[in-house]
Amino acid sequence: MSRRLTVVLSQAPGKHPAKRGLEESVVAALIMEPGVEVSVVPNLYDLGPGHTGRLFLEGVAGDMVVLSWLYPRAAFWLLDRDGIKGLFGETLLKPADDDEDTDDTPTDGDKPAAIGPAGELPDRHIYTLDLRDANKPDVFVQEVRRIAAECRDRRDEKARAKAANNPAIVQLGLSVRAPEPAVPAALAAFTPEQLLAPAGRRWYPVIDYDRCTNCLECLDFCLFGVYGVDALERILVESQDNCKKGCPACSRVCPQSAIMFPEYKSPAIAGADTGAVGGLKIDLSRLFGGEPADPLAAAVAERDRELVADGRTAVGAAVGLAKRQADVPAGPKDDLDKLMDDLDALGL
Amino acid sequence: MPEPLTFHMGKHPAVLPADLRYCKNHMWCRPGAAGTHRFGFTAYALRLMQDVYFLEWAVDAGAPVPLKAKIGYIETSKAQSELYAPLAGTVTAFNPEVLADPSAINADGYCAGWLFEMTGDASDTLDVDAYYAHLAAGWDNTQRILKGQINAAGDDD
Repeated sequence: MSRRLTVVLSQAPGKHPAKRGLEESVVAALIMEPGVEVSVVPNLYDLGPGHTGRLFLEGVAGDMVVLSWLYPRAAFWLLDRDGIKGLFGETLLKPADDDEDTDDTPTDGDKPAAIGPAGELPDRHIYTLDLRDANKPDVFVQEVRRIAAECRDRRDEKARAKAANNPAIVQLGLSVRAPEPAVPAALAAFTPEQLLAPAGRRWYPVIDYDRCTNCLECLDFCLFGVYGVDALERILVESQDNCKKGCPACSRVCPQSAIMFPEYKSPAIAGADTGAVGGLKIDLSRLFGGEPADPLAAAVAERDRELVADGRTAVGAAVGLAKRQADVPAGPKDDLDKLMDDLDALGL
Repeated sequence: MPEPLTFHMGKHPAVLPADLRYCKNHMWCRPGAAGTHRFGFTAYALRLMQDVYFLEWAVDAGAPVPLKAKIGYIETSKAQSELYAPLAGTVTAFNPEVLADPSAINADGYCAGWLFEMTGDASDTLDVDAYYAHLAAGWDNTQRILKGQINAAGDDD
Protein backbone atom coordinates (compact mmCIF):
# COMPACT_ATOMS: atom_id res chain seq x y z
CA MET A 1 0.00 0.00 0.00
CA SER A 2 1.59 3.26 -1.04
CA ARG A 3 -0.59 6.02 0.19
CA ARG A 4 1.05 9.36 -0.29
CA LEU A 5 1.90 11.70 2.52
CA THR A 6 0.41 15.16 2.08
CA VAL A 7 2.80 18.00 2.85
CA VAL A 8 1.40 21.52 3.04
CA LEU A 9 3.64 24.55 3.33
CA SER A 10 2.11 27.65 4.87
CA GLN A 11 3.86 30.77 3.63
CA ALA A 12 5.14 33.53 5.86
CA PRO A 13 2.98 36.65 5.74
CA GLY A 14 4.75 39.45 3.90
CA LYS A 15 7.56 39.04 1.48
CA HIS A 16 10.58 38.33 3.65
CA PRO A 17 13.19 37.27 1.07
CA ALA A 18 15.04 34.85 3.35
CA LYS A 19 11.79 33.14 4.38
CA ARG A 20 10.55 32.97 0.79
CA GLY A 21 13.91 31.54 -0.20
CA LEU A 22 13.70 28.75 2.36
CA GLU A 23 10.07 28.02 1.42
CA GLU A 24 10.95 27.74 -2.25
CA SER A 25 13.91 25.43 -1.69
CA VAL A 26 11.92 23.18 0.64
CA VAL A 27 9.08 22.91 -1.89
CA ALA A 28 11.49 22.35 -4.78
CA ALA A 29 13.19 19.53 -2.90
CA LEU A 30 9.93 17.90 -1.78
CA ILE A 31 8.40 17.94 -5.25
CA MET A 32 11.11 15.49 -6.29
CA GLU A 33 10.44 13.30 -3.28
CA PRO A 34 8.60 10.03 -4.05
CA GLY A 35 5.49 9.31 -1.98
CA VAL A 36 5.01 12.92 -1.04
CA GLU A 37 2.37 15.35 -2.33
CA VAL A 38 3.32 19.00 -1.78
CA SER A 39 1.02 22.01 -1.78
CA VAL A 40 1.55 25.62 -0.79
CA VAL A 41 -1.03 27.80 0.96
CA PRO A 42 -0.80 31.34 2.33
CA ASN A 43 -0.16 31.87 6.02
CA LEU A 44 -2.32 29.28 7.80
CA TYR A 45 -3.36 31.71 10.49
CA ASP A 46 -4.88 34.10 7.96
CA LEU A 47 -7.01 31.56 6.08
CA GLY A 48 -10.67 32.48 6.54
CA PRO A 49 -13.47 29.90 6.34
CA GLY A 50 -14.05 30.38 2.61
CA HIS A 51 -10.44 30.41 1.47
CA THR A 52 -9.49 27.80 -1.11
CA GLY A 53 -6.39 26.93 0.87
CA ARG A 54 -8.53 26.03 3.85
CA LEU A 55 -10.98 24.02 1.78
CA PHE A 56 -8.00 22.14 0.44
CA LEU A 57 -6.71 21.39 3.93
CA GLU A 58 -10.17 20.26 5.00
CA GLY A 59 -10.24 17.86 2.09
CA VAL A 60 -6.96 16.14 2.91
CA ALA A 61 -7.48 12.67 4.32
CA GLY A 62 -4.72 10.65 5.85
CA ASP A 63 -1.48 11.73 7.46
CA MET A 64 -0.34 15.26 6.85
CA VAL A 65 2.74 17.37 7.46
CA VAL A 66 2.22 21.12 7.80
CA LEU A 67 5.26 23.36 7.53
CA SER A 68 4.60 26.85 8.82
CA TRP A 69 6.26 29.79 10.52
CA LEU A 70 4.26 29.05 13.66
CA TYR A 71 5.10 27.05 16.76
CA PRO A 72 4.03 23.40 16.31
CA ARG A 73 1.46 23.59 19.12
CA ALA A 74 -0.06 26.75 17.68
CA ALA A 75 -0.31 25.34 14.17
CA PHE A 76 -1.77 22.05 15.40
CA TRP A 77 -4.52 23.58 17.52
CA LEU A 78 -5.27 26.20 14.90
CA LEU A 79 -6.00 23.40 12.43
CA ASP A 80 -8.01 21.56 15.06
CA ARG A 81 -10.21 24.61 15.63
CA ASP A 82 -10.79 24.82 11.88
CA GLY A 83 -12.04 21.24 11.88
CA ILE A 84 -8.82 19.81 10.44
CA LYS A 85 -8.32 17.23 13.11
CA GLY A 86 -5.99 14.39 13.81
CA LEU A 87 -3.56 13.04 16.34
CA PHE A 88 -0.56 15.18 17.21
CA GLY A 89 2.45 13.94 15.28
CA GLU A 90 5.64 14.42 17.23
CA THR A 91 8.40 16.02 15.19
CA LEU A 92 12.04 15.48 16.04
CA LEU A 93 12.90 18.99 14.90
CA LYS A 94 13.71 21.25 17.78
CA PRO A 95 14.59 24.94 17.98
CA ALA A 96 18.15 25.56 16.87
CA ASP A 97 19.43 27.00 20.13
CA ASP A 98 17.84 24.24 22.16
CA ASP A 99 21.24 22.63 22.61
CA GLU A 100 20.76 20.65 25.74
CA ASP A 101 17.19 19.83 26.41
CA THR A 102 17.03 19.10 30.08
CA ASP A 103 13.39 18.24 30.63
CA ASP A 104 12.05 17.09 27.32
CA THR A 105 9.41 14.88 28.84
CA PRO A 106 6.75 16.97 30.52
CA THR A 107 5.86 15.74 33.95
CA ASP A 108 2.16 15.19 34.13
CA GLY A 109 2.30 14.78 37.89
CA ASP A 110 0.83 18.02 39.18
CA LYS A 111 -0.81 19.14 35.96
CA PRO A 112 -4.56 19.61 36.22
CA ALA A 113 -6.56 17.48 33.84
CA ALA A 114 -7.01 19.16 30.48
CA ILE A 115 -10.24 18.70 28.60
CA GLY A 116 -8.51 17.44 25.46
CA PRO A 117 -9.70 17.75 21.88
CA ALA A 118 -13.43 17.75 21.21
CA GLY A 119 -15.18 14.83 19.54
CA GLU A 120 -13.79 11.81 17.76
CA LEU A 121 -10.37 12.27 16.20
CA PRO A 122 -9.88 10.73 12.79
CA ASP A 123 -7.26 8.01 12.73
CA ARG A 124 -4.46 10.02 11.21
CA HIS A 125 -1.54 12.10 12.40
CA ILE A 126 -0.88 15.75 11.73
CA TYR A 127 2.75 16.81 12.05
CA THR A 128 3.32 20.53 12.43
CA LEU A 129 6.86 21.66 11.67
CA ASP A 130 8.20 25.10 12.48
CA LEU A 131 10.18 26.57 9.59
CA ARG A 132 12.12 28.71 12.06
CA ASP A 133 13.78 25.61 13.52
CA ALA A 134 16.43 25.44 10.80
CA ASN A 135 17.61 27.55 7.90
CA LYS A 136 18.58 24.72 5.59
CA PRO A 137 15.96 22.99 3.41
CA ASP A 138 17.69 19.60 3.86
CA VAL A 139 16.72 19.50 7.51
CA PHE A 140 13.03 19.70 6.61
CA VAL A 141 13.33 17.26 3.73
CA GLN A 142 15.03 14.73 6.03
CA GLU A 143 12.32 15.18 8.63
CA VAL A 144 9.56 14.74 6.03
CA ARG A 145 11.27 11.54 4.90
CA ARG A 146 11.43 10.31 8.46
CA ILE A 147 7.75 11.12 8.98
CA ALA A 148 6.78 9.44 5.72
CA ALA A 149 8.55 6.29 6.88
CA GLU A 150 6.96 6.51 10.32
CA CYS A 151 3.48 6.84 8.79
CA ARG A 152 4.14 3.94 6.44
CA ASP A 153 5.24 1.73 9.34
CA ARG A 154 2.20 2.70 11.32
CA ARG A 155 -0.13 1.83 8.43
CA ASP A 156 1.64 -1.46 7.80
CA GLU A 157 1.38 -2.31 11.46
CA LYS A 158 -2.36 -1.65 11.41
CA ALA A 159 -2.83 -3.62 8.23
CA ARG A 160 -1.01 -6.58 9.77
CA ALA A 161 -3.10 -6.37 12.93
CA LYS A 162 -6.25 -6.25 10.86
CA ALA A 163 -5.15 -9.16 8.70
CA ALA A 164 -4.37 -11.19 11.78
CA ASN A 165 -7.85 -10.58 13.14
CA ASN A 166 -9.78 -11.64 10.08
CA PRO A 167 -7.47 -13.95 8.23
CA ALA A 168 -9.87 -15.75 5.93
CA ILE A 169 -11.26 -13.00 3.77
CA VAL A 170 -8.34 -11.08 2.38
CA GLN A 171 -6.70 -14.08 0.84
CA LEU A 172 -8.42 -13.75 -2.52
CA GLY A 173 -6.41 -10.74 -3.33
CA LEU A 174 -9.10 -9.35 -5.60
CA SER A 175 -11.34 -7.53 -3.22
CA VAL A 176 -8.65 -5.29 -1.87
CA ARG A 177 -10.16 -1.83 -1.85
CA ALA A 178 -8.30 0.82 -3.72
CA PRO A 179 -6.77 3.12 -1.16
CA GLU A 180 -8.63 6.38 -1.03
CA PRO A 181 -6.53 9.11 -2.57
CA ALA A 182 -4.92 11.50 -0.11
CA VAL A 183 -6.36 14.41 -2.01
CA PRO A 184 -9.93 13.98 -3.29
CA ALA A 185 -10.23 14.45 -7.01
CA ALA A 186 -12.36 17.57 -6.69
CA LEU A 187 -9.72 19.25 -4.58
CA ALA A 188 -6.80 18.14 -6.67
CA ALA A 189 -8.32 20.38 -9.30
CA PHE A 190 -7.46 23.50 -7.32
CA THR A 191 -4.88 25.49 -9.19
CA PRO A 192 -1.87 26.82 -7.29
CA GLU A 193 -3.20 30.32 -8.00
CA GLN A 194 -6.45 29.52 -6.23
CA LEU A 195 -4.63 27.99 -3.30
CA LEU A 196 -2.42 31.02 -3.03
CA ALA A 197 -5.13 33.68 -3.29
CA PRO A 198 -3.98 36.38 -0.90
CA ALA A 199 -5.61 36.13 2.51
CA GLY A 200 -6.24 39.24 4.61
CA ARG A 201 -4.42 39.40 7.92
CA ARG A 202 -6.38 37.99 10.84
CA TRP A 203 -5.96 38.03 14.62
CA TYR A 204 -7.60 35.62 17.04
CA PRO A 205 -6.75 33.30 19.91
CA VAL A 206 -6.10 29.56 19.55
CA ILE A 207 -6.85 27.25 22.47
CA ASP A 208 -4.55 24.34 23.32
CA TYR A 209 -7.04 21.76 24.57
CA ASP A 210 -4.21 19.65 25.92
CA ARG A 211 -3.80 22.41 28.50
CA CYS A 212 -7.27 23.96 28.79
CA THR A 213 -9.19 22.88 31.88
CA ASN A 214 -12.40 24.64 30.86
CA CYS A 215 -12.20 27.07 33.79
CA LEU A 216 -13.91 29.69 31.58
CA GLU A 217 -11.83 32.60 32.90
CA CYS A 218 -11.26 33.75 29.32
CA LEU A 219 -15.00 33.75 28.71
CA ASP A 220 -15.49 36.00 31.74
CA PHE A 221 -12.57 38.24 30.92
CA CYS A 222 -13.04 38.98 27.24
CA LEU A 223 -15.70 41.61 26.72
CA PHE A 224 -15.74 41.43 22.93
CA GLY A 225 -17.66 38.19 22.50
CA VAL A 226 -14.79 36.14 21.14
CA TYR A 227 -15.39 33.12 23.37
CA GLY A 228 -18.40 30.89 23.69
CA VAL A 229 -19.23 27.35 24.75
CA ASP A 230 -20.37 24.38 22.69
CA ALA A 231 -23.35 22.12 23.38
CA LEU A 232 -21.30 20.32 26.03
CA GLU A 233 -20.42 23.60 27.78
CA ARG A 234 -16.85 23.41 26.60
CA ILE A 235 -15.00 26.65 25.87
CA LEU A 236 -14.38 27.52 22.24
CA VAL A 237 -13.24 30.48 20.21
CA GLU A 238 -16.67 31.20 18.82
CA SER A 239 -16.23 34.46 16.91
CA GLN A 240 -12.60 34.68 15.87
CA ASP A 241 -12.99 37.94 14.04
CA ASN A 242 -14.48 39.76 17.03
CA CYS A 243 -10.99 39.69 18.50
CA LYS A 244 -9.05 42.95 18.74
CA LYS A 245 -5.93 43.03 16.60
CA GLY A 246 -2.77 42.95 18.67
CA CYS A 247 -4.51 42.33 21.99
CA PRO A 248 -3.30 39.17 23.80
CA ALA A 249 -5.03 39.99 27.11
CA CYS A 250 -7.00 36.76 27.51
CA SER A 251 -3.83 34.77 27.02
CA ARG A 252 -2.33 36.49 30.04
CA VAL A 253 -5.28 35.70 32.31
CA CYS A 254 -5.40 32.02 31.37
CA PRO A 255 -4.18 30.07 34.43
CA GLN A 256 -2.94 27.19 32.25
CA SER A 257 -1.29 29.28 29.53
CA ALA A 258 -3.55 27.43 27.13
CA ILE A 259 -4.41 30.43 24.96
CA MET A 260 -2.05 31.20 22.11
CA PHE A 261 -1.80 34.12 19.73
CA PRO A 262 0.43 32.46 17.15
CA GLU A 263 1.80 35.72 15.80
CA TYR A 264 2.39 37.53 19.08
CA LYS A 265 5.98 38.59 19.57
CA SER A 266 6.69 36.85 22.87
CA PRO A 267 7.26 33.13 22.44
CA ALA A 268 5.25 31.99 25.46
CA ILE A 269 2.07 33.64 24.11
CA ALA A 270 2.81 32.59 20.54
CA GLY A 271 2.72 28.93 21.59
CA ALA A 272 6.35 28.02 22.21
CA ASP A 273 6.65 25.00 24.42
CA THR A 274 7.43 26.62 27.71
CA GLY A 275 10.80 25.46 28.79
CA ALA A 276 12.04 25.61 25.22
CA VAL A 277 12.43 28.94 23.48
CA GLY A 278 10.30 30.88 25.89
CA GLY A 279 12.22 29.62 28.86
CA LEU A 280 15.70 30.02 27.46
CA LYS A 281 15.24 33.63 26.54
CA ILE A 282 15.66 35.91 29.46
CA ASP A 283 13.35 38.89 29.62
CA LEU A 284 15.53 41.91 30.30
CA SER A 285 12.67 44.41 30.27
CA ARG A 286 13.10 44.95 33.99
CA LEU A 287 16.73 45.90 33.56
CA PHE A 288 16.07 48.08 30.55
CA GLY A 289 13.53 50.28 32.26
CA GLY A 290 10.29 48.33 32.18
CA GLU A 291 7.83 48.13 35.02
CA PRO A 292 7.56 44.90 37.02
CA ALA A 293 5.88 42.21 34.97
CA ASP A 294 2.34 41.62 36.11
CA PRO A 295 0.36 39.67 33.55
CA LEU A 296 -3.02 40.55 35.06
CA ALA A 297 -2.29 44.28 35.11
CA ALA A 298 -1.04 44.08 31.54
CA ALA A 299 -4.17 42.21 30.49
CA VAL A 300 -6.47 44.71 32.18
CA ALA A 301 -4.62 47.62 30.53
CA GLU A 302 -4.79 45.96 27.12
CA ARG A 303 -8.48 45.26 27.48
CA ASP A 304 -9.22 48.82 28.59
CA ARG A 305 -7.33 50.19 25.60
CA GLU A 306 -9.48 48.11 23.24
CA LEU A 307 -12.70 49.04 25.05
CA VAL A 308 -11.91 52.74 24.74
CA ALA A 309 -10.94 52.32 21.09
CA ASP A 310 -14.40 50.80 20.60
CA GLY A 311 -16.08 53.82 22.18
CA ARG A 312 -16.92 51.84 25.30
CA THR A 313 -15.99 52.54 28.90
CA ALA A 314 -12.84 51.15 30.45
CA VAL A 315 -13.67 48.71 33.23
CA GLY A 316 -10.27 48.21 34.83
CA ALA A 317 -10.00 45.13 37.01
CA ALA A 318 -13.67 45.28 38.05
CA VAL A 319 -14.96 42.86 35.42
CA GLY A 320 -14.05 39.28 34.70
CA LEU A 321 -11.34 38.84 37.33
CA ALA A 322 -13.55 38.31 40.36
CA LYS A 323 -12.97 34.60 40.69
CA ARG A 324 -9.22 34.88 40.63
CA GLN A 325 -8.99 37.79 43.04
CA ALA A 326 -11.25 36.17 45.58
CA ASP A 327 -8.79 33.30 45.69
CA VAL A 328 -5.86 35.41 46.79
CA PRO A 329 -5.68 35.80 50.54
CA ALA A 330 -3.88 38.86 51.84
CA GLY A 331 -1.43 36.77 53.82
CA PRO A 332 1.80 37.87 55.49
CA LYS A 333 4.71 38.56 53.18
CA ASP A 334 6.81 35.55 52.33
CA ASP A 335 10.31 35.28 50.91
CA LEU A 336 9.12 35.77 47.38
CA ASP A 337 7.36 39.01 48.29
CA LYS A 338 10.53 40.17 49.96
CA LEU A 339 12.57 39.39 46.87
CA MET A 340 10.09 41.29 44.72
CA ASP A 341 10.24 44.27 47.08
CA ASP A 342 14.03 44.20 46.88
CA LEU A 343 13.82 44.26 43.12
CA ASP A 344 11.38 47.15 43.21
CA ALA A 345 13.68 49.03 45.56
CA LEU A 346 16.43 48.59 43.03
CA GLY A 347 14.70 51.21 40.90
CA LEU A 348 16.18 50.17 37.59
CA MET B 1 40.88 61.95 26.13
CA PRO B 2 40.15 60.37 29.53
CA GLU B 3 40.63 56.65 29.95
CA PRO B 4 37.55 54.43 29.64
CA LEU B 5 36.41 52.52 32.73
CA THR B 6 36.01 48.76 32.69
CA PHE B 7 33.26 47.11 34.69
CA HIS B 8 33.87 43.40 35.25
CA MET B 9 30.79 41.24 34.84
CA GLY B 10 32.23 38.11 36.31
CA LYS B 11 35.11 37.54 33.93
CA HIS B 12 33.70 39.62 31.13
CA PRO B 13 35.06 43.16 30.86
CA ALA B 14 32.44 45.76 29.88
CA VAL B 15 34.26 48.81 28.60
CA LEU B 16 32.63 52.18 29.31
CA PRO B 17 34.06 55.08 27.30
CA ALA B 18 34.61 58.16 29.41
CA ASP B 19 33.36 60.68 26.88
CA LEU B 20 29.77 59.41 26.88
CA ARG B 21 26.80 60.01 29.16
CA TYR B 22 24.84 57.00 30.43
CA CYS B 23 21.24 56.14 31.26
CA LYS B 24 20.06 53.73 33.94
CA ASN B 25 18.38 51.59 31.31
CA HIS B 26 21.86 50.68 30.05
CA MET B 27 21.93 52.94 27.04
CA TRP B 28 24.74 55.34 26.34
CA CYS B 29 24.00 58.89 25.26
CA ARG B 30 26.19 61.08 23.09
CA PRO B 31 24.79 64.59 23.59
CA GLY B 32 24.56 66.54 20.33
CA ALA B 33 25.07 70.23 19.79
CA ALA B 34 21.56 71.04 18.60
CA GLY B 35 19.92 69.26 21.53
CA THR B 36 19.59 66.02 19.57
CA HIS B 37 21.29 63.15 21.36
CA ARG B 38 22.35 59.79 20.01
CA PHE B 39 21.70 56.58 21.96
CA GLY B 40 22.91 52.98 21.87
CA PHE B 41 23.45 49.96 24.09
CA THR B 42 26.33 49.88 26.54
CA ALA B 43 28.78 46.99 26.52
CA TYR B 44 27.07 45.87 29.73
CA ALA B 45 23.67 45.57 28.02
CA LEU B 46 25.20 43.83 25.02
CA ARG B 47 26.94 41.28 27.20
CA LEU B 48 23.62 40.41 28.86
CA MET B 49 21.79 40.12 25.55
CA GLN B 50 24.52 38.76 23.27
CA ASP B 51 23.86 38.52 19.52
CA VAL B 52 20.99 40.71 18.40
CA TYR B 53 18.64 38.87 16.06
CA PHE B 54 15.73 41.20 15.78
CA LEU B 55 15.01 44.84 16.49
CA GLU B 56 11.81 46.74 15.93
CA TRP B 57 10.57 50.16 16.88
CA ALA B 58 7.05 50.78 18.10
CA VAL B 59 7.07 54.52 17.44
CA ASP B 60 7.73 56.55 14.30
CA ALA B 61 10.45 59.14 13.92
CA GLY B 62 9.02 62.51 14.93
CA ALA B 63 6.82 61.05 17.64
CA PRO B 64 6.97 62.63 21.08
CA VAL B 65 7.59 60.05 23.82
CA PRO B 66 7.36 60.34 27.60
CA LEU B 67 10.17 59.05 29.82
CA LYS B 68 10.14 55.24 30.03
CA ALA B 69 7.55 54.93 27.26
CA LYS B 70 7.75 51.67 25.37
CA ILE B 71 9.47 52.47 22.09
CA GLY B 72 10.55 49.13 20.73
CA TYR B 73 11.39 45.49 21.13
CA ILE B 74 14.59 43.51 20.83
CA GLU B 75 15.29 39.82 20.59
CA THR B 76 18.75 38.35 20.91
CA SER B 77 20.32 34.95 21.19
CA LYS B 78 19.87 34.95 24.96
CA ALA B 79 17.19 37.46 25.76
CA GLN B 80 14.25 39.51 24.73
CA SER B 81 13.18 42.87 26.01
CA GLU B 82 10.93 45.78 25.46
CA LEU B 83 12.87 48.97 24.90
CA TYR B 84 12.01 52.13 26.79
CA ALA B 85 12.64 55.80 26.17
CA PRO B 86 15.68 56.98 28.16
CA LEU B 87 14.42 60.58 28.16
CA ALA B 88 11.20 62.46 27.63
CA GLY B 89 11.43 64.06 24.21
CA THR B 90 11.00 63.39 20.52
CA VAL B 91 12.62 60.56 18.63
CA THR B 92 14.08 62.15 15.51
CA ALA B 93 15.77 59.24 13.75
CA PHE B 94 16.43 55.51 13.94
CA ASN B 95 19.68 54.02 12.68
CA PRO B 96 18.64 52.41 9.38
CA GLU B 97 21.80 50.28 9.29
CA VAL B 98 20.97 48.31 12.40
CA LEU B 99 17.34 47.93 11.37
CA ALA B 100 18.53 46.30 8.17
CA ASP B 101 21.22 44.24 9.89
CA PRO B 102 21.28 44.31 13.70
CA SER B 103 24.69 42.62 13.88
CA ALA B 104 26.32 46.06 13.80
CA ILE B 105 24.99 46.57 17.32
CA ASN B 106 27.22 43.77 18.57
CA ALA B 107 30.13 44.57 16.27
CA ASP B 108 30.42 48.25 17.13
CA GLY B 109 27.93 49.12 19.84
CA TYR B 110 29.38 52.50 20.74
CA CYS B 111 29.64 53.85 17.20
CA ALA B 112 28.16 52.34 14.03
CA GLY B 113 25.71 50.32 16.16
CA TRP B 114 23.87 53.35 17.51
CA LEU B 115 20.11 52.91 17.86
CA PHE B 116 18.27 56.20 17.64
CA GLU B 117 18.49 59.94 18.11
CA MET B 118 16.11 61.97 20.18
CA THR B 119 15.70 65.47 21.52
CA GLY B 120 15.04 66.16 25.17
CA ASP B 121 16.69 67.19 28.38
CA ALA B 122 19.69 64.91 28.87
CA SER B 123 20.96 66.58 32.01
CA ASP B 124 19.72 63.71 34.19
CA THR B 125 22.00 61.20 32.48
CA LEU B 126 24.98 59.81 34.38
CA ASP B 127 28.66 60.36 33.75
CA VAL B 128 30.86 57.31 33.42
CA ASP B 129 31.76 57.21 37.13
CA ALA B 130 28.13 57.38 38.19
CA TYR B 131 27.15 54.68 35.68
CA TYR B 132 29.99 52.47 36.90
CA ALA B 133 28.74 52.95 40.46
CA HIS B 134 25.19 52.15 39.28
CA LEU B 135 26.40 48.90 37.73
CA ALA B 136 28.44 47.96 40.77
CA ALA B 137 25.49 48.63 43.09
CA GLY B 138 23.07 46.64 40.95
CA TRP B 139 25.28 43.71 39.96
CA ASP B 140 24.18 41.31 42.68
CA ASN B 141 20.54 42.03 42.00
CA THR B 142 21.06 41.75 38.26
CA GLN B 143 22.47 38.29 38.71
CA ARG B 144 19.56 37.41 40.93
CA ILE B 145 17.03 38.61 38.33
CA LEU B 146 18.78 36.56 35.67
CA LYS B 147 18.88 33.44 37.81
CA GLY B 148 15.29 33.94 38.91
CA GLN B 149 14.20 34.12 35.31
CA ILE B 150 16.12 31.04 34.35
CA ASN B 151 14.48 29.14 37.18
CA ALA B 152 11.04 30.47 36.34
CA ALA B 153 11.33 29.14 32.79
CA GLY B 154 8.24 29.71 30.77
CA ASP B 155 7.05 32.84 32.50
CA ASP B 156 6.02 35.44 30.05
CA ASP B 157 6.73 39.17 30.08
